[in-house]
Amino acid sequence: MKILIYEDSKWINLTPLSYIKPIFELRCGFSSLLEKIVSVLPEGEIILWVRDYLKGLTIKKYNHKVNDEEFLNDDVLIINGRWLIERELSFNLNEEKLYLSKGDIVYGVIKKENLRKYWNGNIDEFLKNISGNLKSEETDFILINYPWDLIHYNSKIIKFEFQKSNKKGILGKFSEKATIYGSENDVYVAKSAEIYPFVVLDTSEGPVYIDEGVKIFPFSVIIGPCYIGEKTQIMSGAKIREGNSIGPVCRIGGEVEESIFHSYSNKYHDGFIGHSYIGEFVNLGALTTNSDLKNDYSNVSVYLNGKLTETGQLKVGSFIGDHTKTSIGTLFNTGTVVGIMCNITANNILPKYFPSFVWFVNGKFMKGYGIDYSLQTAKISMERRNRILLKEEEDAIRKVYELTESERKSYIEKSRKIAR
Amino acid sequence: MEDIEIIERVKKVISDVLGVDKDKIKLEDRFVEDLGAESVQSLELVAAFEEEFDIEMDEEKALEVKTVGKAVEFIKEYLAKK
Repeated sequence: MKILIYEDSKWINLTPLSYIKPIFELRCGFSSLLEKIVSVLPEGEIILWVRDYLKGLTIKKYNHKVNDEEFLNDDVLIINGRWLIERELSFNLNEEKLYLSKGDIVYGVIKKENLRKYWNGNIDEFLKNISGNLKSEETDFILINYPWDLIHYNSKIIKFEFQKSNKKGILGKFSEKATIYGSENDVYVAKSAEIYPFVVLDTSEGPVYIDEGVKIFPFSVIIGPCYIGEKTQIMSGAKIREGNSIGPVCRIGGEVEESIFHSYSNKYHDGFIGHSYIGEFVNLGALTTNSDLKNDYSNVSVYLNGKLTETGQLKVGSFIGDHTKTSIGTLFNTGTVVGIMCNITANNILPKYFPSFVWFVNGKFMKGYGIDYSLQTAKISMERRNRILLKEEEDAIRKVYELTESERKSYIEKSRKIAR
Repeated sequence: MEDIEIIERVKKVISDVLGVDKDKIKLEDRFVEDLGAESVQSLELVAAFEEEFDIEMDEEKALEVKTVGKAVEFIKEYLAKK
């Protein structure tokens, strides 16, 4: 049996986080959606299916076939890449059937003859065809539909994955002047991690998992549930409040609550980030802060795919795309979306939406120094962390630059009109 | 558009964005060293020139322009293409 893990057309609802990575690469809890899916799969060859412009990059990143129709030669287990695995499960592979979440396929088993009958090379048409023709059953499995879903489920997933990891105890360096407040059974400190004096790990509301190579500097408090990824540094005096997944390879200071830092991002200094998802290679300048609660306690709306979308949630922070940078003192409004490769400088009240690649300077949207300059900056910041910008990654970024051009121009034009 | 008009309008834009006296701006003045432009102000200058002359400049080429006189020449090239 082959296993097809795909992204459907709803990747657009997860932008800007999903612009230069497949949706199954987004993180929640300890790991990406894909890593969680793979951890529960039965035996079988995995094939990934992504949007065309990410094909080359996905081939480079993963040791699986990508957008390869070889899966047509066998019965197949299809799996939606937006599936958030939050329980132990087993697959019934004998019956041809689709398992749904609010009408969207979560996973399904399809026989070879029906694959060939309904496949025409377009994943979304295929999903529509099989949905209308094969036996199906509604389930309570979770699909990630919007960026704030990843935040909403993060605490639950950290608790689940801590239990699933079956790891506990202090294997690394733990200063005798550091403290665990709560059950020691809810702490894991990996062998190469280092906890400095006057650090408090508070497990009274959930577990704290400190991964390999992490350093937690003095006077920091880490409140569970919390996951600190490999080689991340928590700076002195940081308040890492409940529900955070950080890393790998991040440097985080200040106050952070119920947020996900994807990887390789810095928030070195003071400032508050709450209910937010911060992409890769993001740098938040000192005192960068986001609101995650409106003063009238109404639900937060977020600009998504050009439309103001009601989240139905009281607490929503910011969603910041890869390689974006903020200046010192940047203050984000509740439910702000910032595209990839933006440069945001502080201003009084910032807009709630920043198209990818814009520079926001003195209260105006600007086009910045151009795509080549942005790529050069990305290369420099990646090389500083021993990473290289892959040719395929650059191609994907250039594609997103094209895809977002009209939106960006429209914001710049509006900004100029307002300034007149 | 006559050269003299382009020069006057370029100086007016520079004066507005950088807050320097228009009459003291010379063609040989360098934006950073002589007129005190900060890095982000170069972006504002590009935006303001585009707005003033209704042109769309190549960002990276525009940012290679270092003096007022070169900016005038650069803008003239775009105006000639209109």
